[in-house]
Amino acid sequence: MLPGPLDFSDTISSMASAPTSKYNSHSLENESIKRTSRDGVNWDLSEAVPRLPGETRVADKEVIYICPFNGPIKGRVYITNYRLYLRSLETLSSHWHFEADACVFQDSALILDVPLGVISRIEKMGGATSRGENSYGLDITCKDMRNLRFALKQEGHSRRDMFEILTRHAFPLAHSLPIFAFLNEEKFNVDGWLVYNPVEEYRRQGLPNHHWRITFINKCYELCDTYPSLLVVPYRASDEDLRRVATFRSRNRIPVLSWIHPENKTVIVRCSQPLVGMSGKRNKDDEKYLDVIRETNRQISKLTIYDARPNVNAVANKATGGGYESDDAYHNAELFFLDIHNIHVMRESLKKVKDIVYPNVEESHWLSSLESTHWLEHIKLVLTGAIQVADKVSSGKSSVLVHCSDGWDRTAQLTSLAMLMLDSFYRSIEGFEILVQKEWISFGHKFASRIGHGDKNHADADRSPIFLQFIDCVWQMSKQFPTAFEFNEQFLITILDHLYSCRFGTFLYNCESARERQKVTERTVSLWSLINSNKDKFKNPFYTKEINRVLYPVASMRHLELWVNYYIRWNPRIKQQQPNPVEQRYLELLALRDEYIKRLEELQLANSAKLSDPSTSPSSPSQMMPHVQTHF
Amino acid sequence: MEFSELIRTGRAQAELLRGPGAPPLRGTLCVTGHHLLLSPGPQATSDLWLLLLRSVDSIEKRVAGDSGTITLRCKDLRVLQLDIEGVEATLDIARSIEALSSLESVITSFPFFYRPKGLRLGDAWHFHPPEHHYKRVARETNAWRLSEVNEDFSVCPSYPRAVIVPRAVDDDALARSARFRQGGRFPVLSYHHAPSGTVLLRSSQPLTGPQKRRCAEDEELLRAVLAGARPGARGFIVDTRSAQAAKQARMTGGGTEAKAAYPGWKRLHRPMERGRPLQESFVRLVEACGDLEQSMDRWLSRLEGCRWLAHVKEALSTACLAAQGMEREGACILVHGAEGTDSTLLVTSLAQLILDPLSRTMTGFQELVEREWIQAGHPFQLRCAHSAFSHARPKHEAPTFLLFLDCVWQLGRQFPLSLEFGEGLLLALFEHAYASPFGTFLCNSEKERCLCEVRTRTHSLWSGLNQPKEQRKLRNPLYVLNPLAIWPSVEPQSLRLWQGLFLRWTRPPEPSEAAWEKVWQIVTDKEKTEGSQPTVSASEPQP
Repeated sequence: MLPGPLDFSDTISSMASAPTSKYNSHSLENESIKRTSRDGVNWDLSEAVPRLPGETRVADKEVIYICPFNGPIKGRVYITNYRLYLRSLETLSSHWHFEADACVFQDSALILDVPLGVISRIEKMGGATSRGENSYGLDITCKDMRNLRFALKQEGHSRRDMFEILTRHAFPLAHSLPIFAFLNEEKFNVDGWLVYNPVEEYRRQGLPNHHWRITFINKCYELCDTYPSLLVVPYRASDEDLRRVATFRSRNRIPVLSWIHPENKTVIVRCSQPLVGMSGKRNKDDEKYLDVIRETNRQISKLTIYDARPNVNAVANKATGGGYESDDAYHNAELFFLDIHNIHVMRESLKKVKDIVYPNVEESHWLSSLESTHWLEHIKLVLTGAIQVADKVSSGKSSVLVHCSDGWDRTAQLTSLAMLMLDSFYRSIEGFEILVQKEWISFGHKFASRIGHGDKNHADADRSPIFLQFIDCVWQMSKQFPTAFEFNEQFLITILDHLYSCRFGTFLYNCESARERQKVTERTVSLWSLINSNKDKFKNPFYTKEINRVLYPVASMRHLELWVNYYIRWNPRIKQQQPNPVEQRYLELLALRDEYIKRLEELQLANSAKLSDPSTSPSSPSQMMPHVQTHF
Repeated sequence: MEFSELIRTGRAQAELLRGPGAPPLRGTLCVTGHHLLLSPGPQATSDLWLLLLRSVDSIEKRVAGDSGTITLRCKDLRVLQLDIEGVEATLDIARSIEALSSLESVITSFPFFYRPKGLRLGDAWHFHPPEHHYKRVARETNAWRLSEVNEDFSVCPSYPRAVIVPRAVDDDALARSARFRQGGRFPVLSYHHAPSGTVLLRSSQPLTGPQKRRCAEDEELLRAVLAGARPGARGFIVDTRSAQAAKQARMTGGGTEAKAAYPGWKRLHRPMERGRPLQESFVRLVEACGDLEQSMDRWLSRLEGCRWLAHVKEALSTACLAAQGMEREGACILVHGAEGTDSTLLVTSLAQLILDPLSRTMTGFQELVEREWIQAGHPFQLRCAHSAFSHARPKHEAPTFLLFLDCVWQLGRQFPLSLEFGEGLLLALFEHAYASPFGTFLCNSEKERCLCEVRTRTHSLWSGLNQPKEQRKLRNPLYVLNPLAIWPSVEPQSLRLWQGLFLRWTRPPEPSEAAWEKVWQIVTDKEKTEGSQPTVSASEPQP
């Protein structure tokens, strides 16, 4: 809401209504309480502040929260080693008296519940000479599309204290403090760390087989320190070959298998750029290696190489020793550039999105402002690239090799999205977790650098919303195929929230070797534990399991939308004014669906007992693929 | 039959291209009085393809060698291409389609010939008479009566026979008030909001003119409205023109209510685009949506430049204003612009959807369309003579009704559970408003419909739509009654392009239809599993 009604109150001075947005923000905040309490958070009843096991109180302080939607509100802020929690001292109910009958939000204190991990920057605003009301305090920039401002008293050292405490706990790395995930003592009834087991996942894909083998050459990360320990490579390439190829690939990220098509056996292979350099160096081993990959599916076609970068960038990379596969050197390969820009362009683009949505939405020229951020255009290019990869593989014309510069940003986006389009397994909740775990976490997307967990250097040029962009693409796909994904929007938002929160170990560190050194799986909880122990909340009631259906989203600008429920979720105006119990209805439907499926299974069981037909269990792709047992 | 003179050629061999997703059809093309037929060759198994000529919006022909191509742009925004053997045949067929699709006579139009199986003439025409609406009002309040002052359409040619007016005002006073309002559209009741005891009225502009004339009966009528509402109620007149436009209207005999003449009433101006600018916006939008060449990085600014979503926003916020005045302020609302047959109806019908849970049901919504658009005298024949493709300069065309449907779609998107009907019904109404085998949207007013005997000689769309086989397409499987008002967000980022309509023929429709089907399945499976003893045959496996 809603200029209409707002204008109305402007016109009629006697009108008692305050801007209705208060109602909304309020409902939003309450939402977050409900959410955290459902997450099994302990409540400190005396303070009414939620606390996780292992979370300790550090300080509390009376402040004025300068809410961009409701104006200044007096409140008490509680800081723990995990979160900043604000509860307003005034209630908002007075604004809402005329809503009494429809109002379901009885206790109307405004609440902010912000994990310290989302904070990217803390600034002091105003100085000793500041005069204006509420002009002295702290200005906090968050990674999740919002800013927080608190006004503090000028007397005493209240601002200095709060600044120091916040800085200390929001940026523990700079203060030799542990990230909260290492202090978190939450217990869940499932262990998310067990979700991804590479051997099992490759076996599900029917690997190893006659053409592909699993190698432990990188067992101690000696071949490539940013790759996982377990790799799938062509059967015909020896470990010695791999070592020689590694010398010609940026950071030794050699081409390895990401996914194999169950029927036509074409593959998606990922790597980094070849070290061609200005002089146009060649490497026979690399050339031969790519040819071996090409030959693994017995079709006589060229290997398709997708270089995610714009052509000019690929050329420019030669200056720093990189480059791309030339026609001369790789006769049996065809190379296409996908024109996806680098991490810096994406970061600036998202910054522009934030500028037009927070705190106030650019209204008068919303669509052209949105266009000028180019965010959707980048989404379109990423999706278009992934569609091309998926189509090439699915049509069986050829195997595909994907790389960008280092092969951990755009490459991860492309391979994981293409896999999501090709393999319905990844569209289930656990399948998606495996996809993220495999293509992103294990293959060394530099989460620590891109997100800056616990790091105070907010202007670090290494930060970039690459993973967010991937999740956005997934959301766009789920919009276009409402029945194809087992998970709902809440699942994606929860993943993004914990991408920053530092409550779980899942996204910490840059690569598997670092994670292993830090014993992350032993010392922290996995995000998937939280999700998998409460799956219903993240399920899409309309999900229909379909094996072997390839999804081709429409990647035209006409069909892409800004993900309003994520990027503009802090703005109460985008919410309808009134409880819209969609979630509840969806849960009902989910229950109906489960009941139906159960009934169906009973029937099938009864039926198969009669016919003595054993094949009633839901089939997974692995069961549909012929199993080739090769020992390794 | 006279059509035969317009049919230049009997038949020709042709291939039909129906756009992405649909395979081309080959067969014999044939023009009849109302249809274009393509019957596939004997070897083909598919059915006859049929197009109502009335739904052709524009036609373009091209000949090359010994064959020709006809491009038909339809009122439902579909684009069809016919490749025809023979130059003469092409030209003849094109001329026949041109002539037949632009016939203006109502009584020779297809609805007068359409006799579908399973439907009886006269069915459903009695569904939503003014008496019906009055009964509901009378249950809630005693302050209103049903007047038949317009029984012979002489007081107001664009009103129905019976209208609901304040009990305290007699028919003579109504007739005099009608003379003071453009087209005789004196203030009548549109909706009684029982929870707050207030009413929504609509009319046309008062004919104050440059002399600032007044009309005692008109003033008395509005006074009676306030007296009949809850004690102490005030009134707001929502004028859908800018203050300046309203003032200027005095020069041509129109105007707006003078403050002094209507104590208790306050005027608000909410300028809304209508007429030609609205039609142009529609044309530009359809052009943009169909322009596949267009470089996509400019799509959003082009969409913005079409201003269609701005019109959606205007309409919804003005409706919110009216609804909020009633619900939160306990005020009576009178809506009018100039003629009171376009943006006025847009505002009153949307305000009802926001406030009234009954109007969000399947029957309630049909009743709303019937009462607030058809019987209220929205000139469908003039407004929907052409859709977005016509090359002719628009005369009276304006997509007001489409704008209404779009706003309803936005409400449905924001409140996915609160409307009993789905996108399917809105799409059907759009199609039928522009070209239909049913008589419901024919003519411009009840008077004309009466003269043409539409009610007795054509079938009602409502009886067509309410057949059981149509329900799955039209209903919203997620619907649960929501007794509250539904306040939409009208922020620009909350409003979306209605892809299901504007991109209907250019996008692969399959996923959304599959989704719809799936939802139905889940909901109806519930009934199945709740039903009697399960049998194996009932266990349809999940696809």
